[in-house]
Amino acid sequence: MSLLLDVDGLKTYLRAGSRIVQAVDDVSFQIKKGETVCLVGESGSGKSVCALSIIRLLPQGIATHPAGGIRFNFRHNEGEIEQVDMLTLQEERLREIRGSRIAMIFQEPMTSLNPVFTIGDQIIEALQLHWPHMSYDDARNRTIEALRQVQIPDAEQRVNEYPHRLSGGQRQRVMIAMAMACEPDLLIADEPTTALDVTVQAEILRLMKELQKNHGTSILFITHDFGVVSQMADQVAVMRRGKIVENGALDQVLHKPEHEYTKQLLAALPENLERDRHAFTIADASILENSGNAASVNSENSTTAGELLLQLRGLQVYFPIRTGVFRHTTGHVKAVDDVDMEIRRGEILALVGESGCGKTTLGRAILNLISPTAGEVAYQGAVINQLSGREFRPFRRQLQIIFQDPMSSLNPRLTVASTLVEPMAVHGIGADKEDRLSRAAAVLESVGLEEEHLWRYPHEFSGGQRQRIGIARALVLEPQFIVCDEVTSALDVSVQAEILKILLELRAQKNLTLLFITHNISVVEFLSDRMAVMREGKVLEFGNTADIGRAPQHEYTQRLLDAVPRVPVN
Amino acid sequence: MTETIKTPKGGSGYAKRILRETFFQLGARLGLYWIILLVLIAVFAPFIANSHPLIISIDGKLQSPALQHLTAADITLLGLFAVSVVMLVVRPRMTATVTLLFGTLVLIGGLSTLLVKPPQLTTYEQYRQQAELNIYDWAVWAPVPYSAKDYLRDSGDTGLEAPLEAGDRTHLFGTDENGADVLSRMVHAARIALGIGFVATGIAMFIGVIIGGLMGYFSGVTDMIGMRLVEIFEAIPTLFLLLTFVAFFGRSLYIMMVIIGITSWSGYARYIRAEFLKLRQQDFVQAAIACGTPLPSILFRHMLPNGIAPVLVGASFGVASAILAEATLSFLGLGLVDDPSWGQMLNQAVRSSTFNWWMAAFPGGAIFLTVFAYNLMGESMRDAIDPYLKKSAS
Repeated sequence: MSLLLDVDGLKTYLRAGSRIVQAVDDVSFQIKKGETVCLVGESGSGKSVCALSIIRLLPQGIATHPAGGIRFNFRHNEGEIEQVDMLTLQEERLREIRGSRIAMIFQEPMTSLNPVFTIGDQIIEALQLHWPHMSYDDARNRTIEALRQVQIPDAEQRVNEYPHRLSGGQRQRVMIAMAMACEPDLLIADEPTTALDVTVQAEILRLMKELQKNHGTSILFITHDFGVVSQMADQVAVMRRGKIVENGALDQVLHKPEHEYTKQLLAALPENLERDRHAFTIADASILENSGNAASVNSENSTTAGELLLQLRGLQVYFPIRTGVFRHTTGHVKAVDDVDMEIRRGEILALVGESGCGKTTLGRAILNLISPTAGEVAYQGAVINQLSGREFRPFRRQLQIIFQDPMSSLNPRLTVASTLVEPMAVHGIGADKEDRLSRAAAVLESVGLEEEHLWRYPHEFSGGQRQRIGIARALVLEPQFIVCDEVTSALDVSVQAEILKILLELRAQKNLTLLFITHNISVVEFLSDRMAVMREGKVLEFGNTADIGRAPQHEYTQRLLDAVPRVPVN
Repeated sequence: MTETIKTPKGGSGYAKRILRETFFQLGARLGLYWIILLVLIAVFAPFIANSHPLIISIDGKLQSPALQHLTAADITLLGLFAVSVVMLVVRPRMTATVTLLFGTLVLIGGLSTLLVKPPQLTTYEQYRQQAELNIYDWAVWAPVPYSAKDYLRDSGDTGLEAPLEAGDRTHLFGTDENGADVLSRMVHAARIALGIGFVATGIAMFIGVIIGGLMGYFSGVTDMIGMRLVEIFEAIPTLFLLLTFVAFFGRSLYIMMVIIGITSWSGYARYIRAEFLKLRQQDFVQAAIACGTPLPSILFRHMLPNGIAPVLVGASFGVASAILAEATLSFLGLGLVDDPSWGQMLNQAVRSSTFNWWMAAFPGGAIFLTVFAYNLMGESMRDAIDPYLKKSAS
């Protein structure tokens, strides 16, 4: 195979105020014709900046390239091939290359299409820009053909649709169609499936591979997900702090990683944490047994014997759809539709589903943060969902929640100390302020933070640290039951592994019961004892995680589990 | 843990940090200096501009006519100022400060109203004439030796003299149509300008934040009723209401403050409602609810500080527009009868056939600087209160 792109010693420096950030620092890799190179790394590792440098989309005032070369084999329309250096090329020549020879797909399908033009117009414009002699009808036919290729149903009709009429997955398909319409030699895909559900992701990945096979396009695929990497990549480059620490063929990087960082990343994957977990619970149980607390231990096997903590009976949460001048109710969005569920003390129950399936609403309805339309929530036998705010307050102490977004889940105006102490004061925990502060410090230490962090404000912490503070806030009230709403979705995989470990430790120490809401199947398989699969407000399947993982009964569960990109075990 | 944890010094208090960061900016500092200067002028007005000498000595005996003529309002202001200065040094807790200030206001205000009886009949020229007759051994005069309502009857017709026009008397800013010294009237008018701005905006913010907060937090029916209330109040023209009240109850500064206050809260209510509607869905508010935090704490501790920024910026304009509203009324001749006010002086600039530039420039400049100072502080406070903005700017 012939070489298409040769990135050699690329450096990209970004200016932020008076500071210079070495976003990409001496990166070299090559892409051959028709192959897929995956750039993998955690957030802030410089992988997106690297991609934007190649297509020269970084703002000129901020980004500089002090060294390096990006040699690209530019194929003229007549077929002859010229090697150009993207870094020194003039803007007009760059415009010839962008779109027609190097195309790009972005992460967020919701914002990467212009909302005031139909999808057809946007693709036709791209086509006519690169082939000025193409007639409108030709361009339109090609557009329909491109949409058909990315499997948009009814392409002839949908070509006239505006972006807001399409779902996230369909928009990403349109983006791909737009990128592929000009038949580029190189497609840069910057986390193209991160914002999508796993079943949609599977389809998009399959589509990209198919198009690649048909057109012989090379793909530079940027992602943080090793599962996606193992499905897509021929070559893998692992990035960390602007440098490529390891570069090689897929098999070699996944199964015989040489660099310490690659090993760490792979070890942090929930799939690979599995073995550690069993070791952990058994070791932990034996320690507790020795100290005479065997009764409080809930190892994986004993969960079935745990007493009933929480019971949902026919729980419904409907949101009315109001239309017309008089805002009368014409229908309901059935966010949670007739859910029955039992949660036992000490177990981790995972609630799995794709976006919009009602899992978050269900979690909040249990805590009475959203009032259920019908049905009952019983906590230790007492029905709690019809209590008034005052009557419910004692239960607030027992039932807590940890949120997904560590940015918005902490009050930016309060120090960590105030955030942690106030709930204690409300529930009369601790004798005085001093006592509460020392309790808060102890809880902080139990989630791996330090006492001096008490006096900081949330914006001084990283995402992972904030999530720990979120856990600490839930823990200060010494609850029995915690709803964990997508707590690791916004985090890098190594931070995710730490948070999961903390949750498991706390569960073992305090005999906590967790409702773990997530869309990440591998986390579920690592963490949970039992799982419930939700779709369109209904629970489709409910049972032991191991059983469902081995033999899913419901057709949707099978599809969901199949769609999960997995790193093959060697 | 054995050792107890103490709050580190200086690290506590959200308000303190915000204030420090607000006044770190030059514009806000300049604005603050101007307002402080105005406050000092307002408090010490009787000692800055007064026809009564501060101290006189007659046959070796000392007297202070200025002190004798102090009114109850003067004494209340001086008392409040003294208590504030003491508290700036001692720095008690926030609640104690508010209680103390309020207590002083009621106590000194009540006592001085009952006890202080300045002479009913004031003859401003009396001391000037006595000084000319060399009755005093010596006398200390105020820097501006004319009272606000001293129309210089002893000097004949002194109306509308340009600055430094009269050779025998010094009027730095000239005289108004009644013959009173403009600088003196401006000094005394600072009280009205500050008072009306603070009190009217304070009343408006208080009502607006409570009603807007409840609308935003509860939404639904509460929101609907609240918004109709807002619309009703927005439909009332402040000026006509003021006119009506002036007709019924006479011309009172306090009624003006209250009316400007209760007709201008709707803007703040809208701001707060919009912010609260947004904040209500934020995870940290949900977390506070999930922790069983009582409603006042959720509203005022978790939500209000995060939603107050637009209100503060609005308030800085509100103070300015309250000052302007009073100036408008005075300009229309509906303000206070005899008491000095900047707007009333502006009115006189165009009253006679000639354009009296000093009547426009000096009070107009004062209004402009005050409004500008509030806007500078409001802007700077908005920047300080927003941690995201600060982070991205650094």
